[in-house]
Amino acid sequence: MTTAQQESVLIPLIVADDSETRNTPLGKICRDLSESELRKECTALDAFWRASDNLYERVRALFFLYAIHRFYLPAVLSTKDPGLLSFEAFEKFLERRFAQSIEILLEEERTSGLSDTLCSSFAQTYYQLGLQNLADQVRRSVRTLRGNQWMFRTGQAHEHPLRVRKELLELSETGTFPVIHEKTAVRMDLSHSSWSDIFFLGMDYPEGARVLNISVDLAVRGRDETPRPPVEACFRVIDRPVIRLVSVDLEASAEITDLADMFHFAKDYLGLLKGALIAAGVVPIAMEGSRQELGDLLERLVGPGRGIELVSCVNNIPKGSRLAVSTNLLGGLIAACMRATGQAKSLSGPLQESERRIVAARAILGEWLGGSGGGWQDSGGVWPGIKVIEGSAAGEEDPEFGISRGRLLPHHTLIGNDLVSGETRQKLQDSLVLVHGGMAQNVGPILEMVTEKYLLRSESEWQGRRESIALFDQIVNALKGGDIRLLAELTTQHFFGPLQTIIPWATTYFTERVIDAAQEEFGDKFWGFLMLGGMSGGGMGFFFDPSVKEKASDRVLEIMLEQKRQLQKSLPFAMDPVVYDFLVNEHGSASKLKKGDEAMMPPGYYAMVMPELIKRDSRTLSPGIKAEMDLFARRRKTGKDFKGTTTKLLSNLFSSNGESKEAEAGLDDLLDLHGFDPLQHQQIREDMQQGLLGLSKNRLSLNSQIEDVRDDDVAMAERDITESDIEAGKAALTNGEVAVVTLAAGAASRWTEGAGVVKALHPFCKFAESHRSFLEVHLSKTRRVGRENGAWPAHLVTTSYMTHEPISDYLDVRNGFGYEGKLSLSLGRSIGLRMIPMERDLRFLWEEMPQQVLDERAQKMRESLRTALIDWAKSQGEGSDYRDNLPLQCLHPVGHWFEVPNLLLNGTLAGLIAENPNLKTLMLHNIDTLGADLDAGLLGLHRRNGDCITYEVITRRLEDRGGGLARINGQTRLIEGLAMPRESDEFKLSYYNTLTSWIDIDQLLANFGLARADLGDMDKVSRAIREFGVKLPTYITIKEVKKRWGHGQEDVFPVAQFEKLWGDMTAVPGVNCGFVVVPRSRGQQLKEQAQLDGWLRDGSKAVVEELCDFG
Amino acid sequence: MKVSTAIITAAGRTQRKLPLQTLTDREGQAQTVLRLFLDELRDAGIDKIGVIIRPGDRQVYEEAAGDLSETLTFIEQTEPLGYGHAVHCAKEFTSGEAFLLMVSDHLFVSDDPEQNCAQQVIEVAEAQESVISAVQSTHESKLPYFGAVAGKLFEGQPGLYEIEKVIEKPTPTVAEQELMVPGLKLGHYLCFFGMHVLTPAIMDLLGQGLATASEQNPLQLSPAIAALANRERCLALELKGRRYDLERQFGLLMGQFAVALDGKHRDELLEGIIELLAQARR
Repeated sequence: MTTAQQESVLIPLIVADDSETRNTPLGKICRDLSESELRKECTALDAFWRASDNLYERVRALFFLYAIHRFYLPAVLSTKDPGLLSFEAFEKFLERRFAQSIEILLEEERTSGLSDTLCSSFAQTYYQLGLQNLADQVRRSVRTLRGNQWMFRTGQAHEHPLRVRKELLELSETGTFPVIHEKTAVRMDLSHSSWSDIFFLGMDYPEGARVLNISVDLAVRGRDETPRPPVEACFRVIDRPVIRLVSVDLEASAEITDLADMFHFAKDYLGLLKGALIAAGVVPIAMEGSRQELGDLLERLVGPGRGIELVSCVNNIPKGSRLAVSTNLLGGLIAACMRATGQAKSLSGPLQESERRIVAARAILGEWLGGSGGGWQDSGGVWPGIKVIEGSAAGEEDPEFGISRGRLLPHHTLIGNDLVSGETRQKLQDSLVLVHGGMAQNVGPILEMVTEKYLLRSESEWQGRRESIALFDQIVNALKGGDIRLLAELTTQHFFGPLQTIIPWATTYFTERVIDAAQEEFGDKFWGFLMLGGMSGGGMGFFFDPSVKEKASDRVLEIMLEQKRQLQKSLPFAMDPVVYDFLVNEHGSASKLKKGDEAMMPPGYYAMVMPELIKRDSRTLSPGIKAEMDLFARRRKTGKDFKGTTTKLLSNLFSSNGESKEAEAGLDDLLDLHGFDPLQHQQIREDMQQGLLGLSKNRLSLNSQIEDVRDDDVAMAERDITESDIEAGKAALTNGEVAVVTLAAGAASRWTEGAGVVKALHPFCKFAESHRSFLEVHLSKTRRVGRENGAWPAHLVTTSYMTHEPISDYLDVRNGFGYEGKLSLSLGRSIGLRMIPMERDLRFLWEEMPQQVLDERAQKMRESLRTALIDWAKSQGEGSDYRDNLPLQCLHPVGHWFEVPNLLLNGTLAGLIAENPNLKTLMLHNIDTLGADLDAGLLGLHRRNGDCITYEVITRRLEDRGGGLARINGQTRLIEGLAMPRESDEFKLSYYNTLTSWIDIDQLLANFGLARADLGDMDKVSRAIREFGVKLPTYITIKEVKKRWGHGQEDVFPVAQFEKLWGDMTAVPGVNCGFVVVPRSRGQQLKEQAQLDGWLRDGSKAVVEELCDFG
Repeated sequence: MKVSTAIITAAGRTQRKLPLQTLTDREGQAQTVLRLFLDELRDAGIDKIGVIIRPGDRQVYEEAAGDLSETLTFIEQTEPLGYGHAVHCAKEFTSGEAFLLMVSDHLFVSDDPEQNCAQQVIEVAEAQESVISAVQSTHESKLPYFGAVAGKLFEGQPGLYEIEKVIEKPTPTVAEQELMVPGLKLGHYLCFFGMHVLTPAIMDLLGQGLATASEQNPLQLSPAIAALANRERCLALELKGRRYDLERQFGLLMGQFAVALDGKHRDELLEGIIELLAQARR
């Protein structure tokens, strides 16, 4: 150990044997350390992680380094030098070469000193390196698990050691092969695990990783007759040398003849089935890229001329149920494949315990192959009934021994009827209403937050985890004691207590409103709430007195539907909520070997595949297919299961495109309504198709000279605002000379990953005990300023075709949050129609622009998907109109530049001036810049400098990508990231654009060639704006848009659109612009939900809350 | 323990023709495969040999054995109830003594110039007074063809293991979990060689399994050896030698090469092979 390591006060927290020291919160020590002490700790920790062989020590040191750079060092840094980002380090970061990136940053620190900017780079890089270490270890553990290793070394078909069992090769008299029909439960986590089923938690803290996991059968209430195992998988031999994959629910099928396609996961919707065949060893993973023939492999497995068919069916259980449907489907498929190849002993009945464990390990492998991942309890549906799943310490025999304290795979203890009686099981079923709230969620960031907080032993979160562990025992005891009411109280206590202490974002506004409504309606007959999965809003449970359960099931559905109707513009919903009826499944994954006339696939399979077969010339059908068609024809008449199949089959046979015609008409109406300019659209489309517009054309000329600004190019708010500026600002506010313009026309594509909700209305965080939307927060800041200055500033909210009605309704229902001043909406009169992107633009975006390389499998998945999307663009027609989605998803706002001219075009500004001729200044800000308010000092400074527009900028952090403040060929101006001639240019720039800007109304009008008196002359205003608009560049951008289908399924497509941006006003000759550096807490934008936790913890939220007055 | 009795099983549906094939032996003489087996057994000191055959095969086997046919006892397996049943058919013939069991669908080539494969097995069995199964470290891709064992080194003797587990034709998934033996190359397992010295107790164990045996559910030998290992010490011996599965594609050809390359016409054969390779069209 080096001297620095010996002197460190933080390393003992990592290496201590006693749990008290090990569990000391990092914050408790760091908040009292000075800058130099913290930097010494960083030096010691950096040396420590490099020297340690132990996964836990390494990862914990890396997360300590992250936290120090993210939360503690920036607060005590003595330097005010903004610092620059290192392009070289950033490149390595994107390539996932995090360790190299850190080397470069350390060198930078040695030569230029530590700055806030550099801290942000360190923080993100250490964080990612920590996660990379964790992910690598999970993979290594899965790979080194005995039973899985051979699949990683069987690279040749002739070496393949598996054979399909001979029972499956025997043709029946009717000409069909037997079918293995595997049925698998899904799992419900009755305790909620406090996310302790994250692999790393189980591996590092096995004694704290415990869940109460129940296998359940499901029925969608009102649709299905009775609950049944939701997951079905079928395996059989077929008489063609292909691998045939069929997903009944996704209505997708493929016949694979090329081995490479087995590893092309995103080519179709059959990635899960491919993953199952690979994880089960039927197609060993080592064959990826081996250029082996699929026919040779099949000959080895099933003999010459034969192939394999694998079918999946989840009986239309909607996606996102938080019941681990996809993991259990993967488990069921793997189990069927293992039975077929003799890796599981029995062809029918349940699995043996050792086989279940292999299935679970392979499901993890399969998820990794598909670039996703769940928790270690997720394959619980493979086990029967009720069980406690716990982390277990790694023994000498385990591959994890010496690397982590616990094993990758947990231990399952079945809880039999002796401990939880049949009567209790019935009582649970009679009380619990299981639902899917319908919200679309990405729980990935939450799982990362949990891991981070655990590693840092953050004080309140660690306390929360301990409480959660104590509650777990009480929950198990309540169930064993048959006291469901107590159980419900405990799960409710868990949700409102420890779970939200650990992750405040586990709750949602929607969830709490449904709980409140249930409470109000059912009083003491509503027993409690249960959150399932990573966060609430999707899978959830409501406990009721059994006497009202039937009624409550119906009412909960109605309540959820009503809430969804009210909130669907502000929260992302993937589907309508549903209620499930459920039964405890006492078998887990079990199969039946079906032979002869019984050897059939699930009914939905025939509804899907028969129409295509019927259309084919019968002479081209193989004997096996003909035999099966005969069998289907017989069973259709007599089989109970096949009731309704004929109707579905006929509907598939004569499917029409009526719905899409209706949607097209709706789109045209919307275009007309919102002032779509077809001529402008046609021109842009042609320019794009001809290559005159496009991603590469967004960029300034390579000859442009890009430099960082000089000190005298910017004002410093902290340094340059004088007392008299503040006084002048206050006087202007008191005199009603200022209004706020909140930009709220956008579709929040990053915030909800293309879900198309109104970001302004998203109740994203609790302030003063209640969930508040962005819009409410902005209004409350204006209220505070109004109250302080004795005059209520006007507050304008710009809207678009997409956001106007929802925002208008939202404010009406809430009476504008009682805002005392003028509150008005400015409806956008500009709209664009999205286009299918050009292949060259997609390639430019994906191949020429720097991209964050993903983890190995996720990267392969991404590449596979991108190939498929380029094929999609070509098949749809590059540059053609994008119309194949809901009408609102086909339209786009045309950039925030238009939102200011809209104030003139729609008369909003004229009206405001008419009411208040004192109005001189507008403060414009983006919806996600939460710290922006009518600061008197900044207003005074803007006035004193006399510029037309004063833009606020902040020092840059690694996450602040997308342009900045620069000297371009000598002119100080803002430049968008997409206009940078070279990626590296951005890294020369110290300041990042917040978009918050102070506008002098008269100067702006003058630049448009207008005066106040002209605002009533719409022709003149229109003409002036059109002429001015030509001076601004038109950018082509690629956005992601979601298309929803089926039962909660979502596809994401890249679409092209155009925009003009407000920052480009700084490039227009004659428009005087100034720039002021403001504190980060004021200028920080919240672009992604994953930022919320850091924003809360670094004190930014508290700063915003101070600015608010919620009335 | 003295081993002077041997059984050759040749009643398998797909294997029964293999011992009748003719190969060129180490001396350059044409011999049937059966005859090669008999020579190996005689050299190992076996004087009592029983051959398990299908009903009706006796005459062709007598012809294949040539002048040694009179020294053989032919035992018919009247029902196809599995390999274990075939062995059990020789219960009376072995008359309560330890015996050498040899399959007829493999050729055995010793790498020990002093001892053939049967001699190696018998010597250790007699020295240890124990059941011995000859095994060979086998790549996992060949697991579908063999029974495999797990065990630990016996008294530190290289190549000799005490059998702890026997699984017939395991999948690699099962093999990795249950049959890993320290010291073997990655992906290799101890698989049966096709030669065992067994004690009379095996006949009792096989007899117990016969009650449930059928054509669809044939009686295997491996489970009986696994059960035997629970009763008495059973050892696995890694032989100095190789086995060639005659039933597999090109099995006879490879067997022929192996035998001939082990004999006095080795150089001549090698020249022929090189010429063949040079002339072969791609």
